[in-house]
Amino acid sequence: MRQRSLVILTSVLATGALTLTACGSRDNSSGKSGDSGSSSTFTIGVDAPLSGENSNTGLGIQYGSQIAVDDANKNNWVPGVKFKLKAYDDKAQPATGQSNATSITGDKTAIGAVGPLNSGVAQSMQQVFASANMVEISPSNTNPQLTQGKNWQTAKSRPYKTYFRTATTDELQGSFAADYAYNGLKKKKAFVVDDKQTYGAGLAKIFNEKFTAAGGKVVQTDHVNAGDKDFGSLVTKIKNSGADLLYYGGQYDESALITKQLKDAGVKIPLFGGDGMYATAYTDVAGKQAEGDLATAIGVPADTLPAAKTFISTYKAKGYKGDYRGYGAYAYDATTAIIKAVKAVKDANGGKLPSDINDLRSKIVDEVGKSDFQGITGKVSFDQYGDTGNKQLTVYQVVNGEWKAVKTGTAS
Amino acid sequence: MTETTKTPATPPADATPAPTPRGLIPLPLAAARALLLTGGIATAASTFLAWTWTSDFPGDLTVTGYPGGLQWLTFIAGALTAIFALASYGTRGLGWLIPARNNAPLVLTALGAFAVTWFTAIEIAAKLGGLANWEPGTYIAVIASLIPVLGAFALPQTAGETTKDTLKAYIAKPDRIPAPQPISPWAQRAVITIASIIGLAVFTYGIDTEYGELFIGFLIVVVFAVWALHTAGLLDRFSHMVAANRSFTLAMGFLVAIAFPFTQNDDHYANIGVNILIFGTVALGLNIVVGLAGLLDLGYVAFLGVGAYTAALVSGSEFSKFSGVQFPFWAAALTGAAASLIFGVLIGAPTLRLRGDYLAIVTLGFGEIFRIAVNNMDGDSGPDLTNGPNGIPAIPDLNILGFNLGQPHDIAGFTLGRFANYYLLMVLIMAIVVTVYTRAADSRIGRSWIAIREDETAATAMGINGFRVKLIAFALGASLAGLAGTVSAHVTYSVVPNPYQFAGSTPPNSAFLLAAVVLGGMGTVAGPILGAALLYLLPEKLDFLQNKSLLAFGIALILLMRFRPEGIIANRRRQLEFHETGQLDVPETTTLTDEPAVTKAGA
Amino acid sequence: MHTLPQQLANGLLLGSMYGLIAIGYTMVYGIVQLINFAHGEIFMTGGFGALTVYLYILPDGTPMAAAIPLMLLGGAIVSVLIAVGAERFAYRPLRGAPRLAPLITAIGLSLALQEVVRNFYPGADKALAFPGLDTTHDIGSVTIKDADIFLIAAAIICMSGLAWFVRKSRTGRAMQATAQDPDTAQLMGIDTNRIIVIAFAIGGFFAAVAALSYGLKYGNIDYRMGFLMGLKAFTAAVLGGIGNIYGAMLGGLVLGIAETLASAYINNIPGMQQLGGQSWANVWAFVLLILVLLFRPQGLLGERVADRA
Repeated sequence: MRQRSLVILTSVLATGALTLTACGSRDNSSGKSGDSGSSSTFTIGVDAPLSGENSNTGLGIQYGSQIAVDDANKNNWVPGVKFKLKAYDDKAQPATGQSNATSITGDKTAIGAVGPLNSGVAQSMQQVFASANMVEISPSNTNPQLTQGKNWQTAKSRPYKTYFRTATTDELQGSFAADYAYNGLKKKKAFVVDDKQTYGAGLAKIFNEKFTAAGGKVVQTDHVNAGDKDFGSLVTKIKNSGADLLYYGGQYDESALITKQLKDAGVKIPLFGGDGMYATAYTDVAGKQAEGDLATAIGVPADTLPAAKTFISTYKAKGYKGDYRGYGAYAYDATTAIIKAVKAVKDANGGKLPSDINDLRSKIVDEVGKSDFQGITGKVSFDQYGDTGNKQLTVYQVVNGEWKAVKTGTAS
Repeated sequence: MTETTKTPATPPADATPAPTPRGLIPLPLAAARALLLTGGIATAASTFLAWTWTSDFPGDLTVTGYPGGLQWLTFIAGALTAIFALASYGTRGLGWLIPARNNAPLVLTALGAFAVTWFTAIEIAAKLGGLANWEPGTYIAVIASLIPVLGAFALPQTAGETTKDTLKAYIAKPDRIPAPQPISPWAQRAVITIASIIGLAVFTYGIDTEYGELFIGFLIVVVFAVWALHTAGLLDRFSHMVAANRSFTLAMGFLVAIAFPFTQNDDHYANIGVNILIFGTVALGLNIVVGLAGLLDLGYVAFLGVGAYTAALVSGSEFSKFSGVQFPFWAAALTGAAASLIFGVLIGAPTLRLRGDYLAIVTLGFGEIFRIAVNNMDGDSGPDLTNGPNGIPAIPDLNILGFNLGQPHDIAGFTLGRFANYYLLMVLIMAIVVTVYTRAADSRIGRSWIAIREDETAATAMGINGFRVKLIAFALGASLAGLAGTVSAHVTYSVVPNPYQFAGSTPPNSAFLLAAVVLGGMGTVAGPILGAALLYLLPEKLDFLQNKSLLAFGIALILLMRFRPEGIIANRRRQLEFHETGQLDVPETTTLTDEPAVTKAGA
Repeated sequence: MHTLPQQLANGLLLGSMYGLIAIGYTMVYGIVQLINFAHGEIFMTGGFGALTVYLYILPDGTPMAAAIPLMLLGGAIVSVLIAVGAERFAYRPLRGAPRLAPLITAIGLSLALQEVVRNFYPGADKALAFPGLDTTHDIGSVTIKDADIFLIAAAIICMSGLAWFVRKSRTGRAMQATAQDPDTAQLMGIDTNRIIVIAFAIGGFFAAVAALSYGLKYGNIDYRMGFLMGLKAFTAAVLGGIGNIYGAMLGGLVLGIAETLASAYINNIPGMQQLGGQSWANVWAFVLLILVLLFRPQGLLGERVADRA
């Protein structure tokens, strides 16, 4: 008797459990049914490190996109279409980023993605989006390989046609900085340091090449690790190298410490870096020792564009965490590019969106490539590799504890 | 088979005046049981009502007529409560559910139903802002789920010295579980099959949970249900059954694992699945080193890295130093495993003479050396080999015997996406690793490992060459990790130095691997795999806590270790070691203690 | 090589800080054979405790000479409370558990402490400025700051105090006894639980001293600073012979100097140009550790069992 009842009961439980699995799909279908209605809602995924290290910058990307989505919904940029932002945390890990990418492409209401922050994460995500034919716009990846292939210096070729970025590459930034250092600051001997991360090492390498090409001399190079705190040994080396400029490729976390320790040791040469250190945290931590330090950043200064001012005041008013200064505005423009592309698809299709999500996604990719509008960082457009058409760069300098624009120009 | 069934109603026939068992809440037994049964049914029934007015709460709990989202979990928990209540009545055919006639399963199922219902109700109120968002259905559910808890604590129970002891006694596993009636091997296999299917369903449900609240509800129900089954003694019975049918169970396990991607229509969950398998395989390799041989390795993830980098270098990626070289997968896998093995021996040979924690720091150092070296070997600040921080991207998909793993394939009406293909490949690798693990553990060398772990001096005195045996453990563990690494390189399309660190917020890193082994249960096969699944899913599903997720995860680690230091699936021998007061089901020993059932087992 | 004195000074300073933190690892390990991986985070919270006193308790413009003792007090209170609390609520219940269970607890605790600070300390999601002692002095070819002098002085005073405490005081002797044989010590009437708590407390205090020196020297603190420093300090403790308090300090100094010299000079060695620089410094530090352990498996001072505490 026992066996039979046991079998019966377990099968009852098994059926229960299996129905339970089935119920997971109810939510799916109810979500899907939203598309076909007159007012449909689409999801834009944003992927960035939202916890742990880099999260300060990552949150800036998330909320930058959030403001764009809110603006689109409030101002009805695409009539009859609402947008929803879904944030994914990649914790700066490639495998997590990839898992998020499959989650975004698997979401039947998702039409595009913004992110990631790190180039290393992007490498594992690009192919997933390419397979799903979904647009991915990074507000911050600067590694030239991502858009121009392995031999980007000699023979450019675009590896993934769904990948775009609103950030400029290391190449433009590095050469702009080298030009300003040699011709603007009249510095002749540079000491070049990087943090051995994709962004920093790439930037430092290009600065090194361009500065030498311009006629300057790179007296010595060194590399540090992200997370290092004590730069005593490095500072002593710089002191004895006779350099009149320190170029640093990396983030503000380390560069703020380096400049402080450098100047405490009595070496009064400026530190020059990329947009990774163009942040208030840099001046907060380094204090008066940061005076005279320089950084390049993409686009024209925010206070010359009214739209950017609105963005910053909205960000502050909402009390969002994270630092918008890094890439928040590029995330805003990236998100806007996707939203505008949806509108373009709708207009081109006789005021109706394609009902097939895959069709819609691939049409959006095409339209994003044709983007041409005035964003909050300047003109938003993409070249044949998916790189931003906005080649304007600005050099900032710390004056009285604040970043002040000293030169705006176009990278050659 | 004669069962010495001890109904809780009859006081133990001791000469000493024992306290009469009675409930914390003074109610007659019949009333208590009735409360359990009706409460369970009412809880389950309440899920057919709407619990809130807006579909803003995930899972859409607004529908009257059938349950949805978290309501399903409440339904299952309520139904379980009712079934156990029926069993306590001695209903024909259900008696086997509570063989020892103890209270714990009833209390625990009731608590489970209560916890998941209240969790949902509180989440609704918290998320939507106030009790106003509750529908009448929610009120009914909240009250209905309280009834069985009242009933459960009204069940008669011999009181302990303090209320705390009494409460402990309520959820304790009895000292003696009556042995089951022998059933035929075929029936046993049927039971194992059904259990595997349920396991698959539960696991699939857990992976597929679409929002964090559902996952937490799922964890609540699973924990209480498993705990109830444990205290009822059913898990022990089941593990006896498994022990009697080991190869059958193993085969069923793999069948179920293979079946997983066929239940999914979204490649994302296969992606999670393949990541869990990679993580689990590496954890199992580490289990040889830590669990069997007792060597603390804090840099184990480096071996995964060696395998991944080796596979990337010979994958034919244009970014590889040897971009012209493209090994077929079997050769790449062997190369990766061999490279890891060589590194394992290189590290192990000089350092394995060190004892205990000195070895730990050396392995930690090696792990860091690997990551820093790989990060620097870009021809700029080191030899040109690994492309430095950029890593090796654009690793092509595998193509095994003309089967391109990068393309979706249709098999028997099911579409298997890219990650499902890799998932199946990883199941195969996992099968190899499990075989190697069990074979090694049962062999002469495996027994030497255990001997070394328990007492190295004694083992050496018995003629075991400690150094050689430890080196084999180290090398074997390393090569298994390397094998998993070769697949992981292809799955993520790229290898970069970052993930191979000592501690970080996501798996795999050395600290997480160690946590997976310890949390799951050292020295067992299923433990590290379960631990890996849990450690992978927890941070992933706790996403809704946003930047508090790591905090919650850290606290979860502390609590898990506090309450179950021997791991979720405990090695029997170890469990006896760590719960000195806990009497496991050792049927031969007839303990005649005065304190009934105040054990820590399962607490 | 005219930079050598300065580089040695750099190494010595870094090493003193490692040594101060390493004391916490070594004392706890000496008594309960537990690697308290959360010790780096205890160091970190000490820094935040000191900063809290400076920012929120002291009036603006308090002279540093008056502020420093109070900041040390604040940092010490936080560090010691967390260290003792961790012992009482996280580690003590696991004393009979497998050796690895406390290790996982420590990893969890480490994560939790970092996240608590990041989430709940105002502005701590990025580095926070810390008042520095930046006046510099030139001694020969060596430039040092006031903060460096504070660090060296603090290390010397703390070490001598600890040495006296362990050798001469009643509790210190009880500590040595417990380290040698806890069971016998207990039989002799020593309250081993109390001794363990004291070991954690001393470790916490030293971590707070190190954290204050760190803040004064580098001028900022952040919630992640404990992880790498803790790892290095643990390495230093093992290098010196874990369980030995002098070994911890010596290990710290050796590690600090080795790291600095490696980062400064290895790329001058022919054939090793690419393997020098700061990014390889940690590799050389670990290579040194492995080499030392190969020839002295008990660490530099590991044999002096009598002084274990």
